[in-house]
Order: sequence, then C-alpha cells, then structure tokens
Amino acid sequence: MLDVISPSDPLTLKSQLPAYIRARGVIAARLQDSGRGTRVFDLSEAGGYRLKFPHAEQCEAMIVNTGGGMAGGDHLALSLSLGPQAVAVCSTQSAEKIYRAERDHAEISVTLTLEDAAELAWLPQETILFDGSLLNRQLTVEMAATATFMACETVVFGRSAMGETVHNADLRDRWDIRRNGKLIFAERLRMAGNVQALLDRRSLGAGARAIATMLYVAPDAEARLDETRALLKPDDSSPVEWGASAWNGLLCIRGVCPDPSALRRQTALFLNRFRPYLLPRVWQC
Amino acid sequence: MINPATLPLLVWLSPSFPVGAFAFSHGLEWAVEAGDIHDADSATLWLRDLLQHGSGYSDCCTVAIAWQAASKHDLAQLRDLAELTCALQPSSERWLEATMQGQAFMLAAMSAWSRPTLLTLKPALADGVTYPVALGLVAASHDIPIEQTVSAFALSFISNLVSALIRLGPLGQSDGQRVIAALLPLIESISCETTNATLADLGTCAFRSDIASMRHETQYTRLFRS
Repeated sequence: MLDVISPSDPLTLKSQLPAYIRARGVIAARLQDSGRGTRVFDLSEAGGYRLKFPHAEQCEAMIVNTGGGMAGGDHLALSLSLGPQAVAVCSTQSAEKIYRAERDHAEISVTLTLEDAAELAWLPQETILFDGSLLNRQLTVEMAATATFMACETVVFGRSAMGETVHNADLRDRWDIRRNGKLIFAERLRMAGNVQALLDRRSLGAGARAIATMLYVAPDAEARLDETRALLKPDDSSPVEWGASAWNGLLCIRGVCPDPSALRRQTALFLNRFRPYLLPRVWQC
Repeated sequence: MINPATLPLLVWLSPSFPVGAFAFSHGLEWAVEAGDIHDADSATLWLRDLLQHGSGYSDCCTVAIAWQAASKHDLAQLRDLAELTCALQPSSERWLEATMQGQAFMLAAMSAWSRPTLLTLKPALADGVTYPVALGLVAASHDIPIEQTVSAFALSFISNLVSALIRLGPLGQSDGQRVIAALLPLIESISCETTNATLADLGTCAFRSDIASMRHETQYTRLFRS
C-alpha cells in the first residue's frame, strides 16, 4: 500500500493513515463566575487540542489545535459549559484548515451550555476548506432565557493565497440552538460536489468564496436590529453582501463575499463594535 | 386520467385556497429590485436553484417526512419536524411566510376537510407549524399517495413564485408559462428524489436567497410581505 503514496505530498499521506491513528480531539471545560471574574474549572483536553486562557482582562478561552489542521477521519468534540453569570469569549488560535480527504469526513462537534445570565461569544476564526475536503460540523447550544449568546462562523472555500478553487468538497453544517429547551434556531447547510460552481450561481453565492453566519440570542436581540444594520451598512460599494433579520428573540446576520479577506475584515469590524467584549487579538488584522 | 383520490390536492394547492399565498414572494421582490432576476432566463435559473439547493428542495423533503410520520401516527416525529422547520426559517419574513400559511392551511383543512386522523394528529402542531408540514400531514390523513403530494407541492411552489414574478414585472404571462414548462422535468425529478427523504436529507445552501429575504425587510416600496 505504501508505495502508492507520494512522500512529497504529506497531506495525502496523512489522509491515508489508518483510522486508529486519526486524531480524536476532546476539550471539555466548565467556566464559572468566581466572584472576581470568570474562571475555568474542570478542564480536560486530549488528542492534540488545548484550551488556553491568555488574557487577564476577560475570560478568553483560546482553542489550540497542535496538529495544525484536520484530515479526513479526524474528530474534535468540544464542550463548554458556563455557570450562572459566567462571561467568556471563545476563539481559535488559528484558522481551522480542512485538508483533502479520500474517504472519511472530518468531524467537529461543539456543545455549548449557558446557564442563567451567562454570556458567551463563540468566535472561532474561519474554517478553510481545501479542495477535496469533507467536513461534518455540528453546533449544539442549550441556553437559559436570561443568557446571552453570540456566534460567528466563517467558511472560506479554498486557500485564496494559493489561488485554489474548490472543485470538489462535501460540507455539512448543522446548528441547533435551544432556549429553555425549545429549538429556536436551526441550520442545515448542505453542499456537495463542485462547490465553486454552486457558489457561482446567483441564488447561492454569485461568485462568493467565503460565507459568514452570525447569530445573537439575547433578551435585547430584536431591539438591536437597526443598530446592526447601521453597523453593517449594506451598500453597493462594499464587496460583502450582508443581510440581517431579527425574530423570536434572536438576530441573524449573513454575509457572502468573493474576497475572503474583505469578509474577515468587515466581520471583525462589526464584532468589535457590536459587543462590549474585547475581540480576541487573533481577530485583529 | 387523474387518480380521483388526488383531486383534493388540486383544491388545496390552488391559488384560491385561503392560505394567503399571493402575499408572499419568498425574497423574490428583493431579487428583482437587485437585478438578479430580470427576465425569463434569470428567473428560471433562480427557481431551479431553489428546487435543487434551497427552500424548494428542503420543503419537498419536509412534505414527504410529514406525510410518512402522519401515516404512521408518529406524533413525536411530527412535533419535532414542526419545531425544526419553524426554527430553520432564515429570516423574520420567511418565518412569517412559512408559519402563517401553515396555520391557515390547518385552519381551512380542519373546517372543511376534516378527518378523524387529522383530529388525532393536530395536537402535534400546538407550538406552530410550517406550510409543508401541514400539507404533508393533511394529505396523509386523506390517504393521498405521497408521490403525488410531493410533486403537486413542488409544482405549486414554483407556480406561486412565477405568479409573484409576473406581478413584479420581469415576466409577462407567457414568459411565466414558459418558465414553469421549462422547470417541469426538474420538478418531477426532485419530487422523485425527495419522496423517501429523512431528516438527514434536509439541507440548503441558497445563501443569497436567504439574504434576499432579509434585505426585503428594508426595501423601500413593497408589494409583498416577504
């Protein structure tokens, strides 16, 4: 078998390794209000993933993938639970790269729990899908009605610096957001095959190479719609096409853009103005 | 000849059935304003994408799943499906479009087309229902075959949107008919593909269609509620 693998292509090598040595990343953490700020309790880490807390001014949980990316068959299961009044920002140290895979999907499962009056900003850096990548991602949130949840997920199609176009990929992204046990927002993103040809279609992306979805669920979510629209300033001169809407106590923002770096810049600008939290330094560009 | 058992579908899915379909454009009013849809060709492509990768596909799956759950009297799955499809709406106006028509459809079905099975299944929808769930449930309780239910739904999805585009201007009456005729083979194949759908098949990627429904909220002059 090994003779068919080109040693000059480490990504191919990695994706063809047998399943028992694929990464099984696990992070589980409990964050609680200690009376003098939010602190981490009960942290467990495994399989090349770490959770670092580099900041003193706010509880900033930074996910580190020491493996540097995900190949087919790699798993990450992350769960964060925030006790009453805990306040935290969670991000990733680098963009998550999803390598070309031969057979198995990379699997990412994120479970976030927010108890009474907890506040969490879930702001991972972008996920970069390489040509030929397979990704199955799931975000599950259980929150109290008094909690505040902000999420931002960006997907970049192809390594733009290398001029890569994603001709073949499989992406499934599933979100289930429950407030007091009731499902209030869900997403079932499903893209397969020639992804860039799909993104070129008018009703899909009109040539987009990056997409962003932001969700804000909080007691004041609907009241912040006008402010949100003003911050996004959707106009013809911007390369990012934004949309925002609020209903049922949530605010949803979507953006598509042919230029991933422009989308990232505008997303960072928006997040910086929208939230009182300090945007993690990794987001500054 | 049309199977007589399927005749109620022609009534339920006709524009005169009181669900208020004429009031909603599914974001097309913005797509016309933005210039994305300006003639028969661009309309055909936009609607094709909804059927293959957007709400049209997902709603066909939903009709089929609701039909299957209702025919098995699976109240728990109907409840989960109703909750999920309400939560999957991508904007305030699309949520209104899906839930108002779902509620209106149930109301009309209960008052004029009631069946004992309908009464036993209705409690599953107490927390809200979307239009495709309501249609699948009512059709199953009338023993209308699933294949015809899904394909008639897919056709009405397209013809409602074509009717909106005719009122919005980019399509004339005969253009509208040409668009529907051109999409008929796709309507048939998508119906066929989604008849055995399960929850795992639900999924879309029509991002700009979703954004169009968000942008419609602040459009200056509007004929439609979505």
